[in-house]
Amino acid sequence: MYRTFLSWRYLFARRTNLIGMTGIFVAVAALILIYSIMTGFLEESRRAVRGALADVLVEPARAGEITGVPIPASPQRSLEIIRDTDGVNGATARITWHALFTQGGDEQAQFESVLSSTGSGELLGVQLLGVDVRTEERFLQPALAASFHALGIPYRPYEIKDEFDATEFYGSLQRARTRSSEFIVSAAVDFPMMPFVPPRRMAREARLRKLAPIIVGAKFYDTLHLQKGDVVQLATVSPNSKGDDFTIVNRDFVLAGVFSSGENESDLSKVYMARSELQDFLGMQHNYSQILVRLDDYDDNGPQVAASLQGRLTDEGLIAGSYWGREVSTWEEQRGGLLGAIENERVLMAIMLGLVLIVAGFTIFAILSMMVTEKRRDIGILAALGATRSGILQTFLLIAFWDALIGSVFGVVCGIWAAWKIDPFERWLSSYTKRFFGGEIFKRDLYFFDHIPAIVQTGPVVAFVIAAFVCTLGFALIPAWRAARQSPLEGLRHE
Amino acid sequence: MGDRRLEILHGIDFDLGAGELVALVGSSGAGKSTLLHILGLIDDPTEGKVLVQGIDAWGASEEKRAELRNQHIGFVFQFYHLLPELTALENVLLPVMISHSRWAFRKAAKDWRAKALELLSRFGMADRKNHKPPALSGGERQRVAMARALLQDPSILLADEPTGNLDSATGEKVLELLFEEQARRELSMILVTHDATLAARCGRTVFLGDGLVQGDSTVPVPV
Repeated sequence: MYRTFLSWRYLFARRTNLIGMTGIFVAVAALILIYSIMTGFLEESRRAVRGALADVLVEPARAGEITGVPIPASPQRSLEIIRDTDGVNGATARITWHALFTQGGDEQAQFESVLSSTGSGELLGVQLLGVDVRTEERFLQPALAASFHALGIPYRPYEIKDEFDATEFYGSLQRARTRSSEFIVSAAVDFPMMPFVPPRRMAREARLRKLAPIIVGAKFYDTLHLQKGDVVQLATVSPNSKGDDFTIVNRDFVLAGVFSSGENESDLSKVYMARSELQDFLGMQHNYSQILVRLDDYDDNGPQVAASLQGRLTDEGLIAGSYWGREVSTWEEQRGGLLGAIENERVLMAIMLGLVLIVAGFTIFAILSMMVTEKRRDIGILAALGATRSGILQTFLLIAFWDALIGSVFGVVCGIWAAWKIDPFERWLSSYTKRFFGGEIFKRDLYFFDHIPAIVQTGPVVAFVIAAFVCTLGFALIPAWRAARQSPLEGLRHE
Repeated sequence: MGDRRLEILHGIDFDLGAGELVALVGSSGAGKSTLLHILGLIDDPTEGKVLVQGIDAWGASEEKRAELRNQHIGFVFQFYHLLPELTALENVLLPVMISHSRWAFRKAAKDWRAKALELLSRFGMADRKNHKPPALSGGERQRVAMARALLQDPSILLADEPTGNLDSATGEKVLELLFEEQARRELSMILVTHDATLAARCGRTVFLGDGLVQGDSTVPVPV
């Protein structure tokens, strides 16, 4: 009984114990807060990285000359086979190409002058994406389903997936409408469901010439000081039909709006337009270069379905197969490295913050060592009164245990509370830093997050608390052991 | 001290009867305190045995020895040796807390508390029970220490110059209380002192010198 009683008394008899307790408190709270923010960032990034990619990507090599069998110019047959494969939810075709982007010029001459000038500040390389958005079918689908159902006729639901089904494209368009920045919100497309319609307000010239609409990333839009409804120019080279020469092509487009995926690279370099429009612009025979596949359950059997797609498409001669690297890849294979890097950062951060815990444990070691020296007499008295060595060891360990317990409890409460309130807190703090130093602490525009993401997970919190206990008790064991080994006589001999 | 062995006591043969009051006298460094510590199971003898209730204490386990100390031996030290963080009452109750588990103590706490309070009030300390040692005078501290030593009704009381740190008037009062308790309880008691008049008040005096029992007398002898 005396162990608990005495350790509790000793704990509060010495103010220095509060330092150890505070150390544990700060370490646990900081670990929880920072780890939660890192988890939030990881989740946001994963969503952004993932969002721009389909579960599985089929990218046939243009390598007819290698296999002797030319790859078909239309994705129709491939789409049929892919949709027929087990585990596939849907598939859609896409064209990707690269181009140079200039603004405000409709003259070939201007483009050429920009191209010939050494300073290419007005020239930007972009990735063109020609995608399908089947708006009509989307609107018709529910109505058709309802009427067929009413008539009692079995109805095969809409299966032809488009870009909206395969990627987060629709979400990116929507997100642009809810960004904190007024500038970006005003640049969002008029109707996200129908992205490739010209904007209501646009340059007169664009209206007259019936220019095709394109959609650019919010960061790109921001960097170039573009305006929705502007006339912009894209220029690139396109292979001729025989594939042995290239033609320079350029064309004017009208800016229909922006998307905001949250992923920096996408928001800086991707330009979306309708697939037919891009095919027309490039003058290509092939009207697709990629097929995006959405699976029923990627986490369950993604890689297996990808492998079976590879096999089936190769058998049908729709991809070059083993002659040509990897033509069917999962989204993880495409961007696994980036997510791995963020995950890595999170782990490293936890290890670094773990050092704070070790410092706290060391403080407790120092304080307890001092206490054991100071309490030599008390240890002797306890022994004379019949306390065993293990009883004395436990008494001093219990002091560290209370340190860890109280520190962790406060740490967990404050850490979770801080993670929960970090966004309003940062806003409050930023209101002062803006006034005095002219900048916010968290640059929302940099990430295109409208809040600081923080996700508290039970597992890591429990792990941090256990680590706090292990660290504290581990360090406390040394002085407690010293106390237990002390001969009772040593403490009693002198006043 | 390194490897150098200091031989303090050699060949001590010594009986203490039940209810006997013995004064242990000798010059400084004669080994009085060492003998007391060995008898009190605080210090271990290089050779020889200490039998408490027929049990070879230094041959037994550490737990057993701790239990013997707790149950059968009461200590009164020259420097009181109270725990400064505890109140007078808590200090008195400490040996009971050590010998009882949390639940056992909780069950019996009321009785022990009453017993401790009775002891304290017999020593005139009832109104000071909630004071911590730093707020008590030397005499008061020694009375608390005596109450602590007597709480579990030990069979032996070992007092190491209990008045050595007190002025004569205070010391006298403390001694009166101590002798009174010894007589009332018929305690076996060893009193270490180098005060001849004090030794003379005990029934038997044992002289220690050069690590040996130099004399054992039931007649008061000046030192």
